[in-house]
Amino acid sequence: MTWRSWLVWSAIGAVLALLYLPLVPPLFFSLLPETAAEPAPTLRWYVEMWRNPLLTGAVVTSLEAAVTVALTTPLLALVAAISIRELKLPRLILGLMLLPLLVPGISMGIATAFFFKQIGIAPSLGTIVIVQILWALPFALLVVLTAMSTYDPVLTEAAHMSGAGRWRAFRDIELPLIWPGVSGAATFSFILSFNETVRTALVQGPLNTVQTYIWSTYKQIGLSPTLYALMTLLILLTVGLSSIAVAIRRV
Amino acid sequence: MRLKLLARRLLLSLPVAFVILLLVLPLGFMVVVSFWKRALLKMVPAFELSNYLEFLTGTRLSVLGRSFLVSIEATTICLVIAYPIAYYLARHARPSAARLVMLLFTIPFLVNYVIRVFSWTYLLGRTGLINKSLIEIGIVSGPVDWLLYSDFAVLVGMISSYMPFMIFPLWISLAGIDHRLGEASSMLGARPWTTFRYVTLPLSMPGVFAAIIFAFVGCFGESAVPIILGGVGYQLIGNEITSTLDVLNYPLAAAMSSVVTAAMLALLALWYVAFDLRSFLGKILSWRMQ
Repeated sequence: MTWRSWLVWSAIGAVLALLYLPLVPPLFFSLLPETAAEPAPTLRWYVEMWRNPLLTGAVVTSLEAAVTVALTTPLLALVAAISIRELKLPRLILGLMLLPLLVPGISMGIATAFFFKQIGIAPSLGTIVIVQILWALPFALLVVLTAMSTYDPVLTEAAHMSGAGRWRAFRDIELPLIWPGVSGAATFSFILSFNETVRTALVQGPLNTVQTYIWSTYKQIGLSPTLYALMTLLILLTVGLSSIAVAIRRV
Repeated sequence: MRLKLLARRLLLSLPVAFVILLLVLPLGFMVVVSFWKRALLKMVPAFELSNYLEFLTGTRLSVLGRSFLVSIEATTICLVIAYPIAYYLARHARPSAARLVMLLFTIPFLVNYVIRVFSWTYLLGRTGLINKSLIEIGIVSGPVDWLLYSDFAVLVGMISSYMPFMIFPLWISLAGIDHRLGEASSMLGARPWTTFRYVTLPLSMPGVFAAIIFAFVGCFGESAVPIILGGVGYQLIGNEITSTLDVLNYPLAAAMSSVVTAAMLALLALWYVAFDLRSFLGKILSWRMQ
């Protein structure tokens, strides 16, 4: 190894440490007992947190929203990608689709919250889902577009020459080939939805997602062992699921 | 047949309609509200500039300035760290090693950033891991105070939140550059630095542009990081808007939010003029022309 690659690899190591270090402290705090008299590492907070109906409700809301967003957004992104290819003014359409990425989260939350209130739509799971789809759409679109850019349009022509109509050529030739992009967009949308905090908090009304629950509990009463236990669970779940997803793809 | 074509057009314009109806229209409405009046706990339609005057003449203007400064600092530091890493991974590392490292960058990004930011309060605190280690090694005799609830802490929070956002577009654009261009340049007698300066760097600019936008917009609208890591009284425009909402001054919040959005869109327009977006999406758009 040359000195230069040594330097780069140690920089990469340092940046990775910076990114992974914050994943550790919640685990420690979640295992601490309430008083020094109790046995040292305790799992009681992991049991106790499920007695809180606010939290269990938030888990249900989060999952409902994330599944809906993961099913809807890739389809919308796929249609958007095709519309960029076939409608007039592709650059304008693309710019419009990427807009949610460029509007600061707080502004997007305020704008949609005011708008829903003005036209009389009460905050609900529906408003949460709409805002999260808007947020996930540009990411999903970029993933789908990347997949589409590797598709060779000659194949569609070949399908036409073999007598396939537009829809048939798309369904039987192009869609299977760009499918990894579509399923990747779904995974991405699920994760983005599950993690969204700022925008969701402004349109959720009486509901709570796991993330907004953590956020509002922190602002009202501060961090507690049960909150640390919840965070640890989320960290383990995320890291575990993404590792499994990677392992499956490798095989 | 014409009916079918019409149905097809309608279906294809669905995403555009979705974004216009549920984002562009609400943003427009927000600008309208920013001219309204506040009456007790309600908003009353009016045409007043008082919200903007309140924003632009008070201390809030300095908050806006500080937000710009902090976001520029965080974005610059991120870029300086992320570019060499992305460059090395895309051009010199073995592809399998590069894929593994990119994956390692992705996983913490999938964990909600609010949770990661909470952890920094512990790591940077007076009795936290970093202070303990510094004292242990003997670099300092007592705990360092400016690690937490300071500009430094806010920068650490932002950089660790937005770093993966930057590495990806940089890596994609650098990995997409044809190796033969660099080879041609060195065959023509250019030194490695000259090749980088005149061939690789210009070709990677679309990725740099995307990376800067992602990080800057994220940092600029950030409201959780300054609340958690900045400490009491640390105001950036993001949490300033949140606290204005908390006291139910909706028209003022709308005015501030409009200014922030306008600033972002102005930056975007500038980039749009300065850079040719076609080089970023060339493949997709040129394919359409075929």
